[in-house]
Order: sequence, then structure tokens, then C-alpha cells
Amino acid sequence: MNTSPGLLLLILTPLLPLLLAFPALHSRIFRPCHAALVPPLLLLTLPAGTTVELPWLLLGSGLAIHDQTDRLLLAMSVLLWGAAALFLHTTGKKEVDHRLTTCFMLALSGNMGMILATGMADFFAFSVLTGYAFYGLLVAGRDTEEIRRAARIYLVCLILADLALFEALLIAAATTGSLEFGAVHHVLARSSSIDLYLSMVLAGFALKAALWPLHFWLPPAFRSARPGVAILLGGVPVAVGLLTAMRWLPLGEVTRPDLALLVQGMGIAAMLYASVAGVVRAQPKTVTAYVVVAATGLFTFVLGTGLADPAAWSRHEKWVYILVVFLGIGPALLVVTGRWLEDHRHASCTIDNLPDTRLERCFRAALYWGTRTGTDTLPRLRAACLARASRLWQPRSWHRFLDGSERFLQRWAVAITLFLLLGVAVVFFSMSS
Amino acid sequence: MSWSATLPLLVLASSLLPGLVIFFLPEERVATRTILNLSGAVLKLVLVGVMIRGVYHGYHYETSLALLPGLDLVLRADPLSLLFVVLSSVLWLVTTVYAIGYLEGSPNRSRFFGFFSLCVTATIGVALAGNLITFLLFYELLTLATYPLIVHRGTEEARRAGRTYLFYTVGGGALLLIGTVWLYAIANTLEFTARGFLSGLDDTCHPALVIIFVLLIAGLGVKAALIPLHGWLPQAMIAPAPVSALLHAVAVVKAGAFGIMRVIHDVYGIQFAAGLGVLLPLAVVAAATIIYGSMRALFQDDLKRRLAFSTVSQVSYIVLGTAVAGPVATIGGLIHLVHQGVMKITLFFCAGNLAETLGIHKISEMNGVGQRMPWTMAAFTIGAFGMIGVPPLAGFVSKWYLGLGALDAGQEWVVYVLAGSGLLNAAYFLPILYAAWFKPPAASWPSESSSGRCETAWTLLVPPMVTAVLTLGMGLLASAPFSLLEWARFITSLEYAP
Repeated sequence: MNTSPGLLLLILTPLLPLLLAFPALHSRIFRPCHAALVPPLLLLTLPAGTTVELPWLLLGSGLAIHDQTDRLLLAMSVLLWGAAALFLHTTGKKEVDHRLTTCFMLALSGNMGMILATGMADFFAFSVLTGYAFYGLLVAGRDTEEIRRAARIYLVCLILADLALFEALLIAAATTGSLEFGAVHHVLARSSSIDLYLSMVLAGFALKAALWPLHFWLPPAFRSARPGVAILLGGVPVAVGLLTAMRWLPLGEVTRPDLALLVQGMGIAAMLYASVAGVVRAQPKTVTAYVVVAATGLFTFVLGTGLADPAAWSRHEKWVYILVVFLGIGPALLVVTGRWLEDHRHASCTIDNLPDTRLERCFRAALYWGTRTGTDTLPRLRAACLARASRLWQPRSWHRFLDGSERFLQRWAVAITLFLLLGVAVVFFSMSS
Repeated sequence: MSWSATLPLLVLASSLLPGLVIFFLPEERVATRTILNLSGAVLKLVLVGVMIRGVYHGYHYETSLALLPGLDLVLRADPLSLLFVVLSSVLWLVTTVYAIGYLEGSPNRSRFFGFFSLCVTATIGVALAGNLITFLLFYELLTLATYPLIVHRGTEEARRAGRTYLFYTVGGGALLLIGTVWLYAIANTLEFTARGFLSGLDDTCHPALVIIFVLLIAGLGVKAALIPLHGWLPQAMIAPAPVSALLHAVAVVKAGAFGIMRVIHDVYGIQFAAGLGVLLPLAVVAAATIIYGSMRALFQDDLKRRLAFSTVSQVSYIVLGTAVAGPVATIGGLIHLVHQGVMKITLFFCAGNLAETLGIHKISEMNGVGQRMPWTMAAFTIGAFGMIGVPPLAGFVSKWYLGLGALDAGQEWVVYVLAGSGLLNAAYFLPILYAAWFKPPAASWPSESSSGRCETAWTLLVPPMVTAVLTLGMGLLASAPFSLLEWARFITSLEYAP
């Protein structure tokens, strides 16, 4: 259902933030970050099915709001970006605020464009814009070693992901002769290039969505990011990865049990690791990072299920979109709550000043009793075993273990990435043979 | 002489005559020199516009002047030559405006602009050459016209760079001459012909044709900076910024790459060259140059030197697109001829602005420069992202067609070369952008000169802004009617017509 206001709103949704990215423009407008959200907000009031074709743009483009799922994603994005805009300008420095606003606008334009894009090339262009602008959001005005390091890792992951997706894009175009999502899925699912295509898209997804064990930039980024950026951090990179997987993978049309198993395994591992790590972290900011990693793991598991059982995917696809929405909003809520809690606590905890839990105090008493008993009546071995077992119940032991594993992941980041790529290659070659 | 025979000569004369007059102008006649320069550049642009319209509607523009018995000096406008002519004419106008601002108040400007015009004349001659001997003549004229520009500053370092340049390019010219003479002895013609003129020769000539191919490509590869013949290019960056822009984007390296295209398309013919087995080795050399150039760029702290190694890498995309025998890859090579020119000239203009305004020559001096010169750095950012191949900029469209063409031709390895190069491009461009936009600025710049209200003189600021907008426009409007991509498709359809 194409109406002139509908077409205008479709075009303005990614275009207005792009224009407002210029400091000369956004500095003259009251609350520019919220003003940029007006077109998508109005777009939500229009009926689904509005489409605009732009065949002269890039490799032939189009924008559309097809159905309720698109509206749902758009609504989630408006909510997320609107909340982030409230907390964005906290520096008090005009130049830094200008830079933050510019990066915010560019990332917003990319995010909106991704939801509305009808073709793979436009989607790719918008996702690249979001990715680079988000890097700018991370580092703008925050010149600490920790954030620089996190942003650097994020950038490397982003570039590698974009290269993988570019390769997938080429395969799709060379195989199907089209860049429209629907046509590509249908033809690719029956072609011999499908395995390489799937491998590339999944690699791009894992790198973009900070899937375990490539998540190690996320906790330090959460720790150092500004409140507004932290809200986006919980939703945007993950949403970009999830949306990429949802739109690019021919789920429901292709069955790959081996690959599905690998993907499900990665998802479960991510959930387990993040759950354990998140439970023992005392800092609210870092906990959110692990919630994001666990949520990504959950979604990865769902993706794997989709690859194993296309029929089930087709039946429950809408629920997956709703899951994506909650995965986007949930971490943002956590960030806001975490910041509020922190503001009211006035102090952050570290490993060594963690307060004792009741459980810990009970076990310390048991240990004392056991050791005393062991010294007096029981063999020393029993006391040592008791002491060791009691240490397992101490949160700070787990804390140290997880910090150690985090450091290991960071130190061996390149090797792990190569190992994962090798895994993808092995799966690909074993399936092709 | 008819209009169709006069037009190619007029296009040539529109830069030659102002250039010759400028040589004899006294230094203080700034206004006359500027008017001559700009009117020549604008006139050329108008004439080229007329020519494009004519060729699109099927008119034939050709000038033929007797040179030697059996050999004519032929200037012909065909779709491929017009691609290069458009690039040279548009960028000449922009570079002239920039050079006027850049050299304001410096000595020997008449000499500079005289050779500058000669250089563009030679480039237009290379583009319009209708046979190999005409091509060779203008190719050598280009060498001679560029040398005084490289040594313009007159320092010992500039003279050394000039000597290296002459050593490489005269050597390359000699190889090209030997190949041309040998080819004439075998084929008895040197006329550029669609799909080549050698396929009808006897099989016994094939070994000789392979050797001639190597000689021609080696001769052209010097200017196209293929490894190991690229040594002159990083040294020549000592020249003033407008000359660097001319060398890297408009004239010299482009003449080499364009020559390789001419030899493969209109001397050998793509199908025949593929049959001889000479294209795969050329593609491998181009791929090696792409990776090597990027890796060398990674370790340069001097901004212009980093850009020079980037040119070594990027120009080989054009050669790679031509050597991967297939229509889609050919489109990629053709459009990159223009895209690389526009993107690289943007970067060199910006490097020139930084040097002229703040005395910045090294990347390590660029911290926070985005706050001091936001428009210049915005243009630089667009150029750099274009080079990396970020959509929707021009470089993405080039890489898209090169990659698609490689898959289409069954040469998947090229896609991995493109991916590797993209990664390296990001590795050597993104740290510059990070330093410029996100690092705190230095307390003082190496040598800041006053520039009034603007961040720098408008003659220095407008050219990079224009070319940055072109970089964005050529990517965004790639599929628009009358776009460069449409023209490249038109050329390819002629080459691959059944």
C-alpha cells in the first residue's frame, strides 16, 4: 500500500539522521537525536506493505516495511535509540557532544536502513555504516586504554565480519543473479554454493554479534562506555548480528544437520559460560555484558535448530523475531537499572572487596569446624578435601578463574579466531566432500 | 578538414596551446596565467562533452596524419578512450584550481604550469591514440613532460627522485619500443582494433607473440607500477602535491594501466590473449602487487609515502580486472580506472592541505587534526573508506564487479586477494582516521600558516570537497542511467559482442 507520505517517511527514516549527522545542522535543532526518530515513529502508524523502489541507487535498492515483524523491529529500535538519546550527552564538552551526536546519527541511520532494506547490498551497506559509526560512539571522548583496546578488538571483528559477508554477497549474486532476499534464499538453498555461503554468513554473524568466544571486547566496553552508549551496546551490535543472520540465512528452506549441531553447540557453550561468568560478577555493568553474551548464545541455539529442522523454523519464525526484540530491549533495561543501582551504591566492587555471602559464611564456619575436627579426630586428608571443596563454593575463586580465562581469550584472540575459521572450513569441506 | 576529424585535434590543442603560451609568460602575470589555465581546462571539458554525445549516438571522430611510410599518427575517439579522456579532463580542471592555490607565491610557476599542460596533452594523446605507434609517441612525451614537474622543487632529493623516475620510465619506454617494432614486423599493422588484430596470425608466431606481450607489459608495467617495476613511484612523492595527484590519479600510472588495457583488448584481444596463456601470469603479478603494495603501505609513517604504496596496490586492481578474462571483471577494471583516480586525488589533495596549512607530513603528527581541519579530514575519510571498499562509495562498486567477475570467470582465488587487500587497506587507513578524529590534538602544529576564516585557502579546500562528493556520487548513483558503470558496460558489450 504505497502512499506519498508513506514513501516520504520510508526515505526519511534513514536519510534524516544522515543529514543530521552534520554538526552544522544538528547544532541548530532542539534535541536532534530525538528529532531523527520522528520519521520511524510516524512510519509505525502506517499500514504494513509500504515499499519504495530505488533502482538507480548503488546496485539497485529498495526500502519497505513489509509486515508486523518489521514494525516490531522498528518499534524496538525507536525505543532503544530514544532511551539512548536521553543519556547520550553527559560530557559537558561541546566538541565531544558534537562527535557523539554525529556518530549516533550515522549509526541510527544504518540501523533503521537495515530494518527497511529489501536487498542484500543495501542491507550490507547500512550494516557497515552502523558498525563503523558504533566504533565512533565507543571511542568518542573516552580516551582510556581499556576502551581503546575494546574498540580495537570490536573493529577487527567488524572488518573480518564485513569481509565474510561481502564474500557471501558475491556468492549469492554469482549464484542467483539477484540481490533480493526472497529470490536469493530460494535459489541458494538448491545450489552447490550453499555450504560456503552458510559458513560465511555464520562467521559474519558470530563476529558481529560478539558470540562466545569472540565476546571478549564486550565486558570492557560495557565497563567504560557512557550510559547512552552502554544502552546501545546491549542492543545494537547484537541486533545487527541477529538481523544479519535472520535476513541472510535461508532458514526454513535448507537442512544442514552437521552445521546445525556445531551452531547449537556454540550457542549452548555461550549460554553456559556467560551464565556462570555473569552470576559471579559483582559489577552491574559487566553483568549486562554477560547477559548479552548469553542471549546471543540462546539465539545461536535457535538458529542451529532452524538449520536442523526447517519445518519447525517456518512454524515458529514469528516467535524468533519477538525473541530478537526482547534480546534487544532486555540488556538495555539492565544497563539502565545497573547504572541506577551503581549511582545509589556509590562504590563499585572488585574481586578483593566482595562482601561475604551468607552461603560463604556458612561454609567458612563448616571449614573451620572441619579443620578443627580433622586436626583433633579426623585424618588430615579429609580436612584438606573439605577445604578444597569449600573453596569451590567461594564466589571469588570462580571470579578469579573466569578472569583468568578472559585474559587467556584475549591473549589468544587471533589464534582462537583462526581456529574457529578452521572449524568452519573443516565443516564446509567435510560437507562438500 | 571535417568536424569529426578536427574535434580530436581540438581536444588535444585545448591544453597544448595554453601550455605553450604559459611557458613564455613572465612570472608576475598571475591573472593571465590563471585565465589561460582555467579556460583551457573548461574548453577541454566542453569539447569532451560534445565528443561523448557524438560517440554515444554513433558518430566517428578520427584524425589521421602521415608519420612514416605505412604508419600514421591516428587520434580516434572510441568508448574506451573517452573513459580515460573524461577522467583526465575532469581531474585536470580540479587539479588546476588546486595547483593555483597550492603554488601561490612560489617561484617558477610559468614553467610548472607549462609542463603541467603538456603533461595533460600527452595524457589525452595516450587516451585518443588510434594505434600503437601514436600511443608510444604520447607515452614518451608524457615521460618527458612529467620529469620537470617531479624535480620542480630543485632539491637534491627531488633531483634524485627525478633521476630514478627517468631511469625506470625510459627503460620501460625502450622495452615498449622493441615490442612495438617486433609486433609491426610480424603483423604489419599496429592499428587498435576491437577484439585485437593478432588472432588471424599463424600458430608459428605464437611464441614470438608471447615474448612481445611480455615486452609490452613490462614497458607499460613500469608506469603502472607493477612489482618489481614500481620503485620510482614512492620516491616521486617528493614532488609538490598537485604533481603527486597528477602522477597517481590522472596521468602517469593511469597511462600504464590504460596501455595494458589497450594491449589486451585492442592488440591481442581478450580471447586470443587467454588462449596464449598470458593472462593468468599477469593476473598473478597484479595480485602480488596488490598485496605487496598494501603491506608496504602499512609500515610508512610519511603520509604521502603511504599513499604512494597504496597507489601501487590499487592501480593493479585495474590490471587484475583486465587479466581476469570475463565481461564482469572487465567492467570492474574499467570503472576502477576512474574510481581509483578520483579517490586517490582526494587523498593527495588532503595530504597537500595538511602539509601547506599545518606543516603535517607524517601520520604521527596527525593527532586531532580533524578538529582543526574538519572539511579536509571529512574528504580524506571519504577517500580512505572508498579505498577500503566500504559501501556505498566508489571503491565498493569496483571491488564488487572485480569479485563478481572473478567468480564468473571461475577464478575464486581473486576474491581472497580482494579480501586480503581490503583487510590491509583497513589496517593502514583506519589508524590515520582514528588519530585524526579521536586522538586529542597536539599543543601546536609543525608549522601552522594563517588561513583566515576557513580552515585553509578555498582554492585548496574546494578541490578535495568536489572529488570527495564525486567518490560518494559514483558509488551511490552507480546504477543510474548515464552513469560511469553504464558506460563501462557499453565498452564491455563491444569487446565481448558475439
